[in-house]
Amino acid sequence: MVQPQFLGRTGTAMDDLLNDFLAETAEILAEAGGAIVAWEADPADRAQLDAIFRFVHTIKGSSGFLALPRVTALSHAAEDALDQVRRGHRTPNAALVSGVLGIIDRLNALCAALGQDGVEPAGDDRDVIGVLSEEQAASANAPFAVAGVPLRRDDDFGADLQSWRSIRVPLPLLDSVMTGVTDIVLARNEFARMLRESGADPSLIASFDRLSDSIAGMRQSVSQMRMQRIDKLFAPLPRIVRDLAQDLGKKIAFQTSGGEVELDREMMENIRDPLIHIVRNAIDHGIEPLEERVAAGKDITATISVSARQSGNQIEIEIGDDGRGLSPDTLVAKAIAARVLTANEARALAPKEKLNLIFRPGFSTAAKVTSVSGRGVGMDIVKANVEKIGGVVELRNEEGRGLTILLRVPMTLTIISGLMVRAAGQYFAIPRGAVREILLESGDTVRIDRVGGGEFATVRGEQYPLLRLEAVLGRGRHHGDDVDDRALVIVRPGQGQSYALSVAAIHDHEELVIKPAAPMIMATGLYAGTTLPDNGRPVLLLDVQGMLAAAAIDASEAGRSHDRMAESDAELLAARNAAQLLLFREAGGRVRGVRLSVIERVEEVPASALFESAGRVQAQIGEDIFAVHAAKTPASDGTQKLLRLHDGCSVLCYPIAEVIDIVRLPDAVQPSVAPGLIAGVVLVGGEPVELIDPYWLMEQYAGGAAALADRLPLCRIADDHDGWGQNFLAPILRSAGYRVAPDGDDADEAHDVLLCLAEDGEAPDEATNDIPVIRLRNSIAATGPGDDTVYRYDRQALLDALRRQVGGQGR
Amino acid sequence: MMENLYLVARIADTRVALRSRAINSVVTVGTPVEVPAAPPHVAGLFALRSRVFTLIDPHVVIGLPAVPVAPGQRVIVVDVAEHGYALLADEIEDVCFIEAPETRIAGKLLPGWARVADAMIEHEGASLLVVDPSHFISLPALKAA
Repeated sequence: MVQPQFLGRTGTAMDDLLNDFLAETAEILAEAGGAIVAWEADPADRAQLDAIFRFVHTIKGSSGFLALPRVTALSHAAEDALDQVRRGHRTPNAALVSGVLGIIDRLNALCAALGQDGVEPAGDDRDVIGVLSEEQAASANAPFAVAGVPLRRDDDFGADLQSWRSIRVPLPLLDSVMTGVTDIVLARNEFARMLRESGADPSLIASFDRLSDSIAGMRQSVSQMRMQRIDKLFAPLPRIVRDLAQDLGKKIAFQTSGGEVELDREMMENIRDPLIHIVRNAIDHGIEPLEERVAAGKDITATISVSARQSGNQIEIEIGDDGRGLSPDTLVAKAIAARVLTANEARALAPKEKLNLIFRPGFSTAAKVTSVSGRGVGMDIVKANVEKIGGVVELRNEEGRGLTILLRVPMTLTIISGLMVRAAGQYFAIPRGAVREILLESGDTVRIDRVGGGEFATVRGEQYPLLRLEAVLGRGRHHGDDVDDRALVIVRPGQGQSYALSVAAIHDHEELVIKPAAPMIMATGLYAGTTLPDNGRPVLLLDVQGMLAAAAIDASEAGRSHDRMAESDAELLAARNAAQLLLFREAGGRVRGVRLSVIERVEEVPASALFESAGRVQAQIGEDIFAVHAAKTPASDGTQKLLRLHDGCSVLCYPIAEVIDIVRLPDAVQPSVAPGLIAGVVLVGGEPVELIDPYWLMEQYAGGAAALADRLPLCRIADDHDGWGQNFLAPILRSAGYRVAPDGDDADEAHDVLLCLAEDGEAPDEATNDIPVIRLRNSIAATGPGDDTVYRYDRQALLDALRRQVGGQGR
Repeated sequence: MMENLYLVARIADTRVALRSRAINSVVTVGTPVEVPAAPPHVAGLFALRSRVFTLIDPHVVIGLPAVPVAPGQRVIVVDVAEHGYALLADEIEDVCFIEAPETRIAGKLLPGWARVADAMIEHEGASLLVVDPSHFISLPALKAA
């Protein structure tokens, strides 16, 4: 986590020491941020506390040596406070954590200044230190909350000393070692070829093999030198999530996994900013405000997860949230508004292309530019940065349920183990990591089917789409190739994908030094780079993922694990069916709860939408008016949050101050003595919570509650060929208190009356089903005495007829 | 002095002068390795001192039909944006100092040449086009589409 901007000066021995200190401190501070947030989540986690303590202790030690009084004072204050906690003299709480984080921020700022000027800037840190000590005074009498026996102060450093025993090497030096080794490997390959061709004697070849082995070992070590665990990249994320979630008033559970995956250091530098940007975006735009989440029936605590895994020669980093996802139509509308796209172009876009609009320069998904993500860095920059290092960005969108962004980057650009194959008379390399199995096409275990122009290979009962390499490359089969030699390579380009690649022949395995190919060759999407094997002839490395895209084949393994999917769905359903309790705070500050299932949604209305009428408070929401459970209209002049309770036929609004959380309804309810607003009391997290009785509540308002729309009689208009019914008739019907189902709408709900616009039309089936039919005619005059049709512009006659037919329910 | 040093060669059937500072070296190639599905002006790959170079056929860039690569043919090696390329040359004539100044292209050229030529220069009683090798690396947009 060396922040290059810290490392401004070089030269004297003192500068070297300072640079070492800065590099180390930057690394420690980044890790400490993550550790502190983890500790805040679980204050009893002794290991985290010790780690944080060690971090600040280390900074204090080195800064004292370098005579940096401010850094020393700051780290000393943090160390002191943490030590009190370690000894059990102090209770960890949010204020303490914020105080320590404040010190870490100040240390970061100081280090940045140090790196620039080489001297510690003058200044006063009493403000941040004060936060810690004030807190100390306030909590001096606090109980001993941290478990564990206080340990002596310096006795537990020994164990971790080993991990700090490392030296720092400038990156350029590491790079030059890497280039050197790469050249050695290439020279070895060439030398090996010449040795074979010259027919050298065995002793010479034996000693060359020894050299060759040690070169291979060295290559391994050098690649490892450049590899770092990806959790270095993840370390600053918990802190970012915590701060941002707090700023935005959102509840977010942040998880990382796969931190042990290793990645080339240079790759890491290149994906740090894109990763942070994506996480910020997820918090700011992806995760909905609390009320919206409740309304959508989601857990109030949002989840953001970052996971890494190795897949062949690639690292996949997945950033997923369970927020609102992307809406393709909204994206298009915004792109048009931002003049990134014309309406004409927009119509031609496939759904996936609509999502990809977020990668266009100048596009921002936020309705308003916020202080968080509106900083001019868009997803276009993210994409460009990832592609620069040969990676790809993928979106997996579930509108309303979340967005997952997948970054796939090569683990290293240097040396991989490759499988050499032949097709169309030339050699190609396939990354060994992506190869699952190699089979002879004519073998007994392989069956090849040609179905509907496509080819499929079935290997031991498992089916794969079949790609022929010649076809993918647009080449014919080479005349010299023997059909009996043809082989199938089962390729697994990424998690959950596999296909069979048919090649003319398999050659061998080789250690390959991969270099990027020229941009126009990379642009074909078929190649991942070039390499020079032993024979000195360049070979193209196939892009096993890109070939899939070029062949437009769906290689996903989904569907093969059908049972597992059904299982997890059932689990999800069971979890949803469990009774859940919405906790909220009332205007008076009291915390109450109500069963989530009776809440239709949470509304936020301007206070002016509430009014008193006939001695009762009512709320206007959109076109409807609902009863509100309140003695008088709330005094606030801003907005008012309302829980909309719904019993299946009427709605009641319950004013609240804020939604707190959704929890599982505890089994033990202490019922109230008499029926009333409060059904009983439950314990949630050790605190008593009053449980609202929706039955009682609804009963109080049952008479006055507005009838729900779906109790209104439903008219259906038939034979509306010219749209007269929808354009002229429907508005009149609606204003008269009926609902209108359009012609051809096969809604499940049975309609109460059918309006038939065709005078001579056949009686529709409904006529036989006891559903009354009213026929409209176009002429004023009736055709005869037996004519029961109604002239279509005779409003009164029409409404009378309707009232007769549906029992006078209409107004 | 280097500013006046030019490589005079015949590429895509036309005598041109290339500024020497743009050129890495002139070498001969064997049979290049084909790149299936690559744009038409990519004539293949070849290795030189442990590096892989992309061979470009200037004929295609100018709008002429591609020519086959003859073994032992000379190519002009250039570096563009940290990638190594080689332009197929019909003939390498000379590396020489040309004292005459580069002049603006006054007349009308074929569209293919107009895109790659920077200037004209007078050399031994003939007018040569001064071309920038990096212009040969990308195809004109309308052809690439």
